[in-house]
Amino acid sequence: MLIIVLLKGVPARTTQVAQVGGVLNREAMDLVLNPHDLKAVEAADFLKKRVGGKAVALTMGPDMKLIPLMKPLYESEVLGVDEEYVLSDRKMAGSDTLATSYAVSLGVKKLVERHLHALDLLAETISRAGYSDLVRAKAAELYSSNLLPNRIYSELPTVGDSLVDRYLAGSLTPAAALAELAEEKERLSRFVVLTGIKTTDGETGSVGPQVAEGVSELLGKVVPHATYVEDFDVAPGGTSLTSDRRIGRLVQKLVMQLPSLLTISTEYRPREPGPFSQPEVRRNNYRGKVYRAVKWTSDDLWADPKRLGLAGSPTIVGAGIDIGKPPVQKTVGESLVFLKTSGLVGFEGKNYGPYQRGDLATNLPELLVSRLQADGFLGPFSYEMLAGELFP
Amino acid sequence: MTEEAKGVWVYLQTEKDELTKDSLEVLAAARKVADKVRQEVVGILLGNGVEGAAKQAVSHGADGVLFVDSPEFGTYFNLRYIDAIYAMVMARKPYAFLFAANELGKDLAARIAFRAVTGLATDNVQLEVEDYSNPVLGDFKNLLIQIRPDFGTRLARIYTPRHRPQMATVRPGNFAPLPPDPKRKGKIERFDFKGGDYPAMVKEILELPPSPVDLAGADVVISLGLGILKDGSGRPRNPKEAYEYAVQLKQALETKRGLKTEIGATRALIYAEVKELDGLIDKSNQVGQTGTTVAPKLYFAVGISGALQHRVGMQKSAKIVAVNTDPEAPIFKIAHYPIVGDLYVELPKLIKTVQGATIAN
Repeated sequence: MLIIVLLKGVPARTTQVAQVGGVLNREAMDLVLNPHDLKAVEAADFLKKRVGGKAVALTMGPDMKLIPLMKPLYESEVLGVDEEYVLSDRKMAGSDTLATSYAVSLGVKKLVERHLHALDLLAETISRAGYSDLVRAKAAELYSSNLLPNRIYSELPTVGDSLVDRYLAGSLTPAAALAELAEEKERLSRFVVLTGIKTTDGETGSVGPQVAEGVSELLGKVVPHATYVEDFDVAPGGTSLTSDRRIGRLVQKLVMQLPSLLTISTEYRPREPGPFSQPEVRRNNYRGKVYRAVKWTSDDLWADPKRLGLAGSPTIVGAGIDIGKPPVQKTVGESLVFLKTSGLVGFEGKNYGPYQRGDLATNLPELLVSRLQADGFLGPFSYEMLAGELFP
Repeated sequence: MTEEAKGVWVYLQTEKDELTKDSLEVLAAARKVADKVRQEVVGILLGNGVEGAAKQAVSHGADGVLFVDSPEFGTYFNLRYIDAIYAMVMARKPYAFLFAANELGKDLAARIAFRAVTGLATDNVQLEVEDYSNPVLGDFKNLLIQIRPDFGTRLARIYTPRHRPQMATVRPGNFAPLPPDPKRKGKIERFDFKGGDYPAMVKEILELPPSPVDLAGADVVISLGLGILKDGSGRPRNPKEAYEYAVQLKQALETKRGLKTEIGATRALIYAEVKELDGLIDKSNQVGQTGTTVAPKLYFAVGISGALQHRVGMQKSAKIVAVNTDPEAPIFKIAHYPIVGDLYVELPKLIKTVQGATIAN
């Protein structure tokens, strides 16, 4: 199973956020991986243990920043990710959720197509080269690029019955081999996309569902999504998922055909993989980990430039505004307030007041303040007065 | 094209055939926007047997309701609902479309916005209507100004100048529902929609027991933050003591002042998973951006520095009392009554005060 995990680099500290015209400048900040997305890595680990396959991390942003951040993911949890891809291009800078989801959807599509293409290449070689060693050579090349699962071709001593082995041993006709490859393409098309419920910077939670919609558009078929998934499992054969997703006080149990997209809740705890067939998992697995992250630009994705970056973003972030200060602020034990009601106070030819009990002594001459204090008119705002104001 | 778009739409959620409180709030928000742009508020209602809820929407501020009513809409299923709502948007082209910023509203709005190729501003705490000028894009009249918490600054204005509808989710707890007016008239209109087959289905729905903590319905909320782990001189302190003070304060408020009181907490304190507070506070107590938004008559912020994510969840409280050792804590910028000091010294005084005793400062 192809398991695609979407991750985002978010600012490490709120105090060090760099903005250019309302758009975060991620190149100028220390980034960390969005903590919510790590739940998706846990979910990917569960799927790998349960059905096998490979977990691919996909992110978008400055590659120089993101590649080092993603490195530990290879080792994370039990199994970690097998491959890492970064969509990185100036043309993608300033993307809102719509433009981001478009680019990420293209990335998902390209990942799937890359694997489908490898199977096509092998099928073509079988059609063209018959039972010759060219088939083994082609399969070995694709396998070493981590593009064929052990079920198709394997160098593991524990997998002795890969498609290529059986074919070259003469137990499969070319037509039967091609039919199995077509089946493998079907299996590959039943991929899973996993991500966090939201990011700690934008906090929108929109990109997950929007990528499901974007991939639906690009592949021309409906890709279901479920948000806030607290628990899920995969049906035998990897054809569908059941997922428990939270909506307010309700938990919906959804049955979802694959491909599907899930956003994984912070409440998610991976299930025990349970009794499962280790040989089957091994046959679904790929060669191993590819420790060099791959960068894809907008040209690699064949992206429509009008749908990327600022041009492809319907929303514009304007200037920030402050949350208002309350009109009157009284600090207990500090603020000087009138302790009793006072009429007009004459002082150096000017009149001040009148004042109610509890009014702040603001804009009064210092000398007058000390005189009023001495006369018992002014004093610090007390707990007793606080109670009077809170419970009139 | 953007000039022709008319109507401020509200996606209406129901529970047991009645509109939810979140939906009534979004209706109030839509009413405010619609009055400013002189347009109609249209409620969008999907379900099985929605007549009562449609009438309820009109009495709470809608000028019209566009509904789909059929057994297959009896249960919320995102793909079918999205198809129906998208068909409505394409048929009528509204000016703005508001959803509640809860799990369901966000589930729908994001995917509809992508399909309709428009912007979505989430988690708005205020909505305005203003003209907008952009040096590159030009001038726009009567734009929906979407105001949401922003990571970099404090609150940010989000504009969707060139696309319609301007889609936004509205955070619960920021708009008061309009009082029902049974005399209001509105046009209740059926929308014909036939869904297709979908590669997913709802197999089962489980209802979780109601939360024992009713933060949104409380008169007073006493919230605890990470500050309770230390006393005024910075020495570690058993935070259970602070919790017990909060309980005493709650009891005093309830028995002496007749105010329904709940205990809240910041996200930071809940996620710190403090052993001493195990079983006393959990996610149901969380106030803030990712928890519950509250606007009680009185809010006590105890040992809370006041991160933006917390402030947006409680800044609408009528009166805010904040206790913190750090005079520079951001919570003091919005507190009506700051108390600068050790909470382990100040809380007992506060409790006595509420009980009606006179104490020296």
